[in-house]
Formats: sequence, structure tokens, C-alpha cells
Amino acid sequence: MKKTRIIGTLCVAAVWLALTLGAWLDPAEEISVSERRKLAQLPSVSVKTVLDGRFMKDFESYTLDQFPLRDAFRQLKALVHYDLFGQKDNNGIYLADGSAAKLEYPLNEDSISHAVKKFDAIYRKYLEGTGSSVAVTVVPDKGYYLAEANGYPAMDYEKLFALVREGTSWAQFVDITDLLSTESYYATDTHWRQEQIVNVAQRLCEALGTTVPKAENYTAEEVEQPFYGVYSGQAAIPMDADIMYLLRSPILDGCTVYNHETGKTTPIYDLEKLGGWDLYEVYLSGAAALLTIENPQGDPDRELIVFRDSFGSSIVPLLLDGYSTVTVVDIRYLSSELLGNFVDFHGQDVLFLYSTLVLNSSSTIK
Amino acid sequence: MLFSSIPFLYYFLPVVLAVYFLVPRSWRNAVLLMASLVFYDWGEPRYLLLMVGTILVFYVCGLGVGRVKGAGQRKVLLILSLVIGLGLLAVFKYADFFVENFAAMTGLNLPLLKLALPIGISFYTFQCVSYVVDVYRGTVPAQRSPIAFGAYVALFPQLIAGPIVRYADIARELENRHAGWEDLQIGLRRFLVGLGKKILLANQLGELAGIYRASGEKSLVFCWMYAIAFSLQIYFDFSGYSDMAIGLGRILGFHFNENFNYPYLSKSVTEFWRRWHMSLGTWFRDYVYIPMGGSRVRRGRWVCNILTVWMLTGLWHGASWNFVVWGLFFGLLLMLEKWLKPERLPGLVRHGYVVLAVVISFVIFGGENLGQAWQDILGMFGAGGLPLMTVQTAYYLRSYAVILALSILGAAPLVRNLSNRIPEKIAVVLEPIAMIALLLVCSAYLVDGSFNPFLYFRF
Repeated sequence: MKKTRIIGTLCVAAVWLALTLGAWLDPAEEISVSERRKLAQLPSVSVKTVLDGRFMKDFESYTLDQFPLRDAFRQLKALVHYDLFGQKDNNGIYLADGSAAKLEYPLNEDSISHAVKKFDAIYRKYLEGTGSSVAVTVVPDKGYYLAEANGYPAMDYEKLFALVREGTSWAQFVDITDLLSTESYYATDTHWRQEQIVNVAQRLCEALGTTVPKAENYTAEEVEQPFYGVYSGQAAIPMDADIMYLLRSPILDGCTVYNHETGKTTPIYDLEKLGGWDLYEVYLSGAAALLTIENPQGDPDRELIVFRDSFGSSIVPLLLDGYSTVTVVDIRYLSSELLGNFVDFHGQDVLFLYSTLVLNSSSTIK
Repeated sequence: MLFSSIPFLYYFLPVVLAVYFLVPRSWRNAVLLMASLVFYDWGEPRYLLLMVGTILVFYVCGLGVGRVKGAGQRKVLLILSLVIGLGLLAVFKYADFFVENFAAMTGLNLPLLKLALPIGISFYTFQCVSYVVDVYRGTVPAQRSPIAFGAYVALFPQLIAGPIVRYADIARELENRHAGWEDLQIGLRRFLVGLGKKILLANQLGELAGIYRASGEKSLVFCWMYAIAFSLQIYFDFSGYSDMAIGLGRILGFHFNENFNYPYLSKSVTEFWRRWHMSLGTWFRDYVYIPMGGSRVRRGRWVCNILTVWMLTGLWHGASWNFVVWGLFFGLLLMLEKWLKPERLPGLVRHGYVVLAVVISFVIFGGENLGQAWQDILGMFGAGGLPLMTVQTAYYLRSYAVILALSILGAAPLVRNLSNRIPEKIAVVLEPIAMIALLLVCSAYLVDGSFNPFLYFRF
């Protein structure tokens, strides 16, 4: 019996030693694909960083990021968390109706107020008196359709919509909640699916009084690469990949997108991004402060300015039909105070399109 | 450095154990001292010199108290060491508390020192005090080796969160100790059980307590969930750390005394304190309560002794009125138990009373200030105008039901009793499998998350 005990103890020690050797000897990874971030590297040592504790802090981050079989361990944690301990979410991500979503709770009224004040300031400074037709819409996050129905706490969405509507009384508020459902969003990602939002684009175009896009004018082209959205990495639970589609049309194929930061001109769908971490960046090349889209087949007398977050990337192409020029602005990356230096406001149609996710956490809006 | 961290588990500890067992036995105290200083420096580089200074002061004074013949001189050395040790503790831990309260009473505008609390200062100061007092009393001889004494004070397994190991208890093992296979097996098991308590239970309960604290939508049920979760969190946090310390000590060849013995099974508050943080309770008994006369004095003096000891016990936990009230709350309950003799009541009633009293006490303990603690208590008893339940409460109740149930079961000796019933032939196979699973799951939680504070670090 004593021998068996010694063997048992040696087994425990062996597993410990194996993990230790892995931690010491495994070559460091550069990035985590599942989390879409760079991983911490071994920090350099100096007397200063040791004395002020920075080395220790950075070393701890390094050991966490470079632990052997890190993704497998994260998955093990998620499984124990959900299945053994019966927790309903893991790192704030929950699974319901086959879809992953983030707990967005509670409503942050100060944040909504901050965003609405910024919108109001933009209107007062650049749009008032120019004759622009202005519309505002709020894109509900997936939780609007998933949370309450599955017993998860949800923010007071109606109050959020009311606060935005009241704060932007100078614009036409376009409610799109009835046009969407859980299926309108990727199961593994926060964003909506382009092929599911033509009806939303139609309503927005109606509100702006421009050419309403016809669903039959688009061809859905399937993207070869499997799409593992941001939630699949955060939830750390194995999930089936989403299939991504790009809506093609002769008008869209003729459009060009100019990025004012990089000076590059790309097509509407930047296929190079399909080789990157986040396939959603294929739409208008992802996050960008200021874009100008030229549509040679659009009405030369009509232009549109869209203030948007990442949800705008996939819907803006569907709003193009009636416009010759569409300016796409992201005031998270470009201060609204400086907008006048880059954009000439002369009566274009204007759309504010923001998701509940950004509005409820709007400190990044400048 | 935290025990429950990847740097400790997979970098520091393996290297220290390898070196410790490879060097000749006579070098082991030096290895332990060096390792302990690195361990301390990792978490508190600013205060390493403070700890080394404390060690030197008590080493020299202890040596002096042991060697000097004159009673007066011995007393002077004892008082000198106590003034320095407790003085440093007072400055670093309590100065701002006293300044704030003095300023509030007098209306003066006094500047605060705003010193960061050195990790583990309460533990190592109390160990040093017990050492020099024991040498003065003649209970133990003074330690002549500065390395052995330094290794005792700075011993990393119990340096920053206890238990308070008395010199007398490990004096012999400091000189000569043996660590064999059985020690490794028992120590490893104890360490991993403690790690599991900390990471899998205490941290999850702490998350729930944090969610309650941040919530703007409290309810009566949520208040109770918080109170129960926090009471269990502090138990698993602290007893888990003690288990890890005892386990590590055993691997290294030390036999530390137990610090917890299923305190939530108690049927009186007196019994609770015989089972909860035993090393602190016995320290205050032996070095404060009994020297003050203990219970063999007139009733008025006894009341004074009890209240003083419990006020100090509260203050030991932190420089805040919450802790003072928390300590006095227990002092009052202990006195009431002496007078009212509740042992005549049925066991279930007594057990319920202890659990309720302890849960309320930890709500006082857990509040950022007395006002917040009072609001929490009002909420628990429906006096805060809170709803019975909210959507948020229902969600977190469902989400944490299993953790809460496991924690309540884990606070009783159920697992221990069940595992004792497993035939040894099966147990020797099952135990390593369970330990490996525990190591892997704990590592998985560490790799995935960053919520990992030890509550007792602030003491």
C-alpha cells in the first residue's frame, strides 16, 4: 500500500513537473487567435522595474498568456464553470438559443447622456440650418432578443431608446427593433449579418427619402473562411463557426472606399481582411475614423454622412444606391470638435447609427 | 506573490523545492530564508528592508533577553523589542486611522501619512512578539543562528497570511527536520485542497459579493445572498490559505498547528472562536488576555479584559471602525454566553444562533465603513425598503446556487467523512486522480481569470 501511495504521489508530482517544464520551455506565442490580441512576452529585467514592481506584474501577465495549452485550459475552465458549477455565464458571456451573447446590464444612463450630448453638439455645430435631413437609429445588441427570454438580466432598452429619441428631437428617430431577431446576428459574434439587414437598410433609406434598395438586386456570396466571432474566443466554449456572406451588386462592385488616415483606396469589401483575425473587417476594411465612398452610379446631387460604430460597416454598403458620395465618420477615432477640418457640411443627408453596446459604454465617443 | 498564481505554482515553488532538497540539510534554512526574501520582495519590494530590520531587531533583542542575567535589563530589552515591533505596526497600519479620528474629534486639519500597508506585517510582528516574550518567560531558548531565526520569521509558507506560527512550536524543526514521502504526499494533498478552496470556492463567492456591492438593484434576497457568500468566502479564502501554508510546511518538513476546524459547526460563539483562526485566538489569549488577569479577576475587570482583547482582535484585522465593532460584537456575545448559559437550548437552535451571529458579524466586517455595513444589515431584515427579489437577484441566485450549495457542504466535514469511508485500496488510487484533476482545474481557472485577491493580505 505504501508503494501505491508513493506511485500516486509521484503521478501528481509528474503532472505538476510536466506543466512546469511546459511553462519554462514552450516557445512564446505572439498572438491569441481566439481572443484576437497580442500575448504578453517575457519582460526585460532592470533594477528600476524590479524595484517599482513592474517586472513582477509583467512577468505574471507573461506567465498567464504563455501557459502551455492555454486555450485548452481556458476551455476546461469554461466547461467546469458551466457544467459543474452551473454558472450561467463565463466572463460575462452566456450561451442561449445556440448563440453567444454578452451580459449588457444595467442601463448606464450617464453613458447614454454623454453620447446624446455629443450627437446634439454635432448637430448644433455642423448641421443646424444647413437643410440636412437627419435620421437617428439605435441598433439593439443581441441581448435585446435573447436575454429576458432566456432568464438573463437585460438593460432597460425602452428607456435607452426613449433617452436617445428625446435627446435628438431635431432628427427623425427610426425604430428598427421589429425588423431584427436573434437570427439577424452571428451566433459567435456581436455584429449583425449583412444578408439579414436589407430590410433595415430599406427602412433607413425610406426615412432619408432616398432610393430604397431592392433585395433582389443583391447576390449573397459565401465567404470560404469559417467565421469565429469575438464571443467564441471569450466564451472559450467550442462553438460552430458562422458562415459569412457578402451582398454583391453591380452598384457595389463599382464603388470605391477612400480611407483618409491611410490614404488607401479599396473596394467595398476588402478581401485581404479575410486572411486576418476578424473576418468582419471585410466590410469597409473594419475600424476607420473617416472614409469617403464614391458611387459612380449614384445620384450626383445626393450625398450622405453616416456617423457610426462597427455595426455601420456592414449596413452602409446597403445605403449607397441613391448617393454619389457617402462620408462615413467614427467619432470614437476622430474628435467631433475637429470634424469641420475634414468634412464639408453642406446639406447632405445625415444618419446617426449606433448600437446599444456603444451607447451604454460611450466614454470612447469624442 | 500569491500561492494561487501561475508564477508561484510553476516557477517559484518548483525551483525552491528542487534547490531545497538538493542542497545539504545544513543549508536548508539558508535556502528557505533566501527563498522567503525573494517571495516577499516579489510582492512588496518597498518593504523588504522593513521586514529584514524587524528580523534583526528581534534576533538581537531575543539573544539579549536570553543571555543577560539581570531581570531589569532583560525587561528593558523585551520592552525595547516590543516598542519597536509594535511601533512599526502602529505606524504602518494604524497611524492614519488614529490621525483621522483625532482630527475628527478636535476639528484639526492634520495631514495623513498615507503609507501602504506592508504585506503580512501583522503576522510576522506577532510571530516576533511571541518569540521574544517566550524567550523572556524562559519557555524557549533564544535562537543563536540569525539564519534560522530569519527563516522562522520570513518562512514563505506562512509569511503573508498566517497561520501565526509560534517559535516554540517549530523551534526543534528549525534545527533538525526530516521530510519524507509521507510528508510529501500529505503536504501535496493539503496544499491542493487549499488551492481548490481558494480558487474554486472563495474566488467565485468573492465575485458574487463583488456583484452585490456594485449592484444598483439590491433586494432582500440579494442582501442575504451577499451575507452568506461573503461569510463563506472569508472562510474558504483564509482556511484555504492556511491549508496551503500547512501543506507547504509539511513538504518542507515542518508541522504547523491547525488554524481552522470547521468553525461553522459551532454551537456557541465561544466554540466558534476555538475553531476559527485558532492561531490568532490563542495568541491573544496567551499574550494579552492571561497577562491581563484573564477571567480570574473581579467581574468588572473581567468585562474590561474581554472588551480590550476583542477590540484588539478587531483592530488586528484592520484600521477601521468596522473591525473594532466586529471585535466588540464577538466580545459582547462571549460575555452573554457566559451569563446566559445557552447550552441549555436545543443544539439546532444554538447552531442557528451561531450561524446568524457570524453571518451578521461578517457583514459588519465586509462593509467599507460602518454606514455601509448598517445598510446591508437593514437590507437583510427588510428595513431598507428593498424589494424581496429582482430579475438580477434571480439570475445570480440561479447562477451561483451550485457554488453556494457546494460551499455550505464544504464548510462541514462531509467530504472528509465520506473519503474516510472509502476503502484504502480504492482511496490510494482515487486520491492522486482527484489531486491531478484539482491541479488542472485550478490552473485552468488561473489561466483564464484574474480575480484572485487574498482577503487576509490586508491584515
